[in-house]
Amino acid sequence: MRIPLALFALASSCVSALALDLKGRVQWTPQCPSLKELGQAKVVLDDGKMRGGVTRDGSFTIPDVPAGTYILSVIAHDHYFDQLRIDVFESDTLPEVRPYFPGTPLSPAAPATLPYPIVLSARGRADYFVPRESFNVLAMFKNPMMMMMLGAGALMLLMPTMMKNMDPEALEEFKERHAKMTSIQSSLQSGDLASGFSQLLASGGDEPKAAASAPSKGPSSGGAKHRGGKNKRK
Amino acid sequence: MRLLSLLLGATCAFALHASEAGVIDWHKALAGVPLVQSAATAPSFYRRAFDNGATRSLVLTATESNVLAVLDPASGSLEWRHVFDDDDHILAYRKSNDVVAALSGVGGAYLRLFDVTDGDLLLETRLHSPEMGRLFEPQDLGTAVAFGVGNQAQDVYVLTDGHVLRCIDRSTGDVKWGWSAPDQTSLVVYSKILATPSAVYLLGLTKSFASYTLHVTSISPATGEMVANGNVPSSISSGFSDVVLLRDLREPELEPRLVWLEDKSIKSFPLSPNLKAKPAVIKGAVYKSVQDVGISDYGQLVAVQEDGSGRVIRLSSEGLKVIWDYADSVDSPQRSDSIYAGGLDVDGYPYIARVFWSHVYKQASAHVFASHLAEGKGLVTGYTFPFKTEEHGVISHVAVDAANPEPYRVLARLFLTTSTGAVQLWQQDQLQWTREEGLSDIRVAELVELPERKVAAHAGVAHETFGARLRRQLSDAQDFPQYAVNFARRFVTGSYASVSAPVAHSSNTTELLSRDAFGFRKVIVAATAHGKIYGIDSADGNVLWSRVFGLGWAAQVGGHIIPAKLFVTRTVNDGETPQVVLVTQRKANNGLVDTVLFHVDALTGEDAMGKSVPHDVLQGQDVVSGPLVEAFLLRTDTGRAVLLLDEFLQVHLYPETEESRRTFEKALPSLRIPLKSGPPGQRRLTGHQIPPKVEFTGRHVAYQTWTLPFPPTEDIRAVFARPADPVASLGKVLGNRTTLYKYLNPNLLGVITGPSATLLPSKDAACGVYLVDGAKGTIIYHAAIPSVDGFCDVKATLVENWLVYHYYDNEAGPGHVKSYRVVSVELYEGHGVDERTMSSDLSSLSNETTSVSVYEQAYVFPGGITTVSPTSTTYGITMKDIIVANGNHQIQSFPRRFLDPRRPKQKPTAQEMEEWLIQYDPVIPNDPKRVLSHNYQVAKTRRIVTSPALLESTSLVFAYGLDLFFTRIAPSNTFDVLSENFNKAQLVFTIGGLALAIVIVKPIVERKRLRERWHDQ
Repeated sequence: MRIPLALFALASSCVSALALDLKGRVQWTPQCPSLKELGQAKVVLDDGKMRGGVTRDGSFTIPDVPAGTYILSVIAHDHYFDQLRIDVFESDTLPEVRPYFPGTPLSPAAPATLPYPIVLSARGRADYFVPRESFNVLAMFKNPMMMMMLGAGALMLLMPTMMKNMDPEALEEFKERHAKMTSIQSSLQSGDLASGFSQLLASGGDEPKAAASAPSKGPSSGGAKHRGGKNKRK
Repeated sequence: MRLLSLLLGATCAFALHASEAGVIDWHKALAGVPLVQSAATAPSFYRRAFDNGATRSLVLTATESNVLAVLDPASGSLEWRHVFDDDDHILAYRKSNDVVAALSGVGGAYLRLFDVTDGDLLLETRLHSPEMGRLFEPQDLGTAVAFGVGNQAQDVYVLTDGHVLRCIDRSTGDVKWGWSAPDQTSLVVYSKILATPSAVYLLGLTKSFASYTLHVTSISPATGEMVANGNVPSSISSGFSDVVLLRDLREPELEPRLVWLEDKSIKSFPLSPNLKAKPAVIKGAVYKSVQDVGISDYGQLVAVQEDGSGRVIRLSSEGLKVIWDYADSVDSPQRSDSIYAGGLDVDGYPYIARVFWSHVYKQASAHVFASHLAEGKGLVTGYTFPFKTEEHGVISHVAVDAANPEPYRVLARLFLTTSTGAVQLWQQDQLQWTREEGLSDIRVAELVELPERKVAAHAGVAHETFGARLRRQLSDAQDFPQYAVNFARRFVTGSYASVSAPVAHSSNTTELLSRDAFGFRKVIVAATAHGKIYGIDSADGNVLWSRVFGLGWAAQVGGHIIPAKLFVTRTVNDGETPQVVLVTQRKANNGLVDTVLFHVDALTGEDAMGKSVPHDVLQGQDVVSGPLVEAFLLRTDTGRAVLLLDEFLQVHLYPETEESRRTFEKALPSLRIPLKSGPPGQRRLTGHQIPPKVEFTGRHVAYQTWTLPFPPTEDIRAVFARPADPVASLGKVLGNRTTLYKYLNPNLLGVITGPSATLLPSKDAACGVYLVDGAKGTIIYHAAIPSVDGFCDVKATLVENWLVYHYYDNEAGPGHVKSYRVVSVELYEGHGVDERTMSSDLSSLSNETTSVSVYEQAYVFPGGITTVSPTSTTYGITMKDIIVANGNHQIQSFPRRFLDPRRPKQKPTAQEMEEWLIQYDPVIPNDPKRVLSHNYQVAKTRRIVTSPALLESTSLVFAYGLDLFFTRIAPSNTFDVLSENFNKAQLVFTIGGLALAIVIVKPIVERKRLRERWHDQ
């Protein structure tokens, strides 16, 4: 028995003189508690020519890895794992394990090394779905457009009473400022929309000035225009 | 930046809602067609005994798709499967009570143990490097697995390479001992293991002059030392097929026996550890074969006599004993040859079933023999069952499982594998279920549009009497209340036809298939290499119809049909039911290859040529007596015709009508046919034209116009062309109001080259991607791709003016990144902006065809892929996405915006922002929201077929390989239907609120006006 076994070892060692079996373990975490959750998974080097399956206890072995630098990744259907950089040396019986970020150059290598045997744990479970937006009154009123509309409505209702309480000079000043504000606001809001739109609003803003002699009509018509513009945008 | 781009992608494009999963898509997980050639991989029943005494039956099998699968015989569902890699073929599997061992790879390189009930991988050990393994023919020769018995129940014995035996501990995977044949150079090839408590017997064959001699070695199971070794005086001509190792686990005191056929008689040799015995001969009959029916561990085998009659032989204390002769089993033209299969019942008693097909009664028969019944005299239960041979071909394998609920009554369950790749379970004469595993081997598939539903038949309206019309209108009107109710409900709730709803099924099955509102429902016509064509409903994946190919004259010698191309020759737009033409190669068993054409109706599967009988095999038409070189569909405004080129480049047309001839003559002047030619290893691309004059044979013969040789290290691996989809815009308007015109040469062809498959891999192997003008052989674009250890795995696709290719870059030098790469290439006309050469209509003789500007960009891709396809829409307005089948068994889409070759390297300027360009990031994000197959495991996808729906925004996606998967995707979101997020309630709420505001405000305003008037005047 001894002799055949020795022969056996010799036969396998002549192949693997410069190679090593890369061993590691997938750690079961609450995110990925068992192989049942993970499904059929394998740990591969580079493009998958060298690989090892993940067994029930999480361990894996990639046999006969020759000297070189490799990227280790886990091929699993639903879970994400970090990639690792593995350096296998001809002289050393232990490989060097480093974290690796996809797309970064292999040299210079990251200074931090990780322990060997490799321990991997799932970084997260893939979420394939987007939640559907559902109707929510509160969310609807959180919408800035909606808030602006409400604000405009409130202003419109309050305006006449506010105006009444102002003295005529202040009113005159306020109207001028208001006209300016509307033109600025409209140009800001319309953005890439046709400039004609802003002109339309500008003309609406001009109206109170023209109708300054008839202050009774001014605010209400200006307010109505303003609201009209808002509704159009909706 | 990456996060930002991910966010950007996520917000402005298609993603799946959880409620849509399984509604807009479907997935059929398949196991593959069982490997029935070898008993080590063929399906078998297995009964798992639990500790509480309960048992559960399962069916185990290894399949042609390289999958180890376990099926539930009660429901036919796939319990679990383990998908093996393509370079790691399953050679054998073996079950014990709670684990399955599988041996795979060249010479048995890998041993894996699985939990039988849930398929968890328990152990994976590599026994030798696959490169060092010995190749045998047949593949499973030289490898075997056996479980230890008795005290060695923890051990697994693995024979690899024909001469190495290992004893492996089941739980740790440690090699307890190894033994290898002392003289490896000798001609002994071991192939079978018999593990007993006293010895492990290895059975091998030694090649001697003109025949083989059996060789047995006995090894101590505890230490692995050889006990005895020697040839058994024998002379065998047919290898291991007529050798059986017989023992009885129920009576362990019986000595196991080696049984073989020699000179038409059965000889046996009792096995004892010291191998001291004399061979014995069973006298009295002339035999032609000895069959191991799967219960050799229970001491029974089937021997077939010279006249074809079968008898059961059993191991007993006085050697071998014939215990049963099957009546009426003599070879006869009235029935097919018998298939024998052995199985066990709950208590472990063996049963042997004989199954045959009766040509007279057109039914299959099963005779189940139970040796222990009728006070040990044996009992046969016979019955016939209505196997549908016209639907499933012939039975190629049987596995049996039996029950004996009461004395003199045997219930058998038969697990059949058929020649078309279906597996069926029959309980006595009742069919329990059928799985069409042949669908795991689809070679060609096409999506065919369905016609609209006929609303009402108004035939003969003109000659209707008043009474008849009144009656008709009344009968039409009786549906009106329902319609009104529906209308009202639709109006109130806003439940319109939705893009995320399941495609409506017509409950009426007799009604002809019809499409849905958006054209999401189509028929998938798919042909498999197991001689069957299927029509699959794209709404739910059910098989609508299927036909088995007839072999024509080759039915006498046998043969098989391999589908080559599938063309839709008539669509619904032509006003009639759609039809497809399938071009196949028929390989007869006498070596002759013919090109056979099948022409079927895509909705019903009926033969459009009218040659075959309904519900029988589909008869084809031999169009070329010889292999096919190329076939394609000619499309002109006068019609469609299939053009075939045989090996002498003669032109054949189908259908051979005046109309198709006119179509051909019309297309003739512009036909340029690029072909692969030359022997493997030095393939070239050659261009051909067809002369207007016919040769003396009465056929046009294509002549060569150009040759494009590739470097000697490169061989053509794949040729791909642009899909014939319409192109909506001829150019791309840039931010600075200039235009890049797309290069849309209709003859553009992509070629992937790589080291020849016939040569040994070498380090200097080179690969490349070429874009060639198929009309004159000019290379428009070329990229050299580094090889990985002499191999290349390049996947590419071409759509409009956009080429995308994917490969693995193994360069590990400074500044390099080892990763998968995807390169996106866009071709534009001229040498800059605003240059236009009208490439889509340009004559191929023009020099302008080579004036091209190329934009390209490489990206780091998240992983390996098996195939890649672009999306396809009706008018080509929607952005094209790239759909890949990735290594994680997923179907994933990648948006064009990430792959745009014009992504700027710096922060995008205002002009670039206007084009929606995002800053270059070398890594393409792996976004799970774009995994179309979400939780489904879509394994070994070979091809993704995309097809337009009626909605411009939506593209239908069908992926096939091992599994089938169908979904739909809207690359630019469903812009042409009301969004799923559209909220009718919100709209109503807003309008209602506004109306309320008006109602409240109106009196206030009026009152105010009135007051103002009073105050002003």
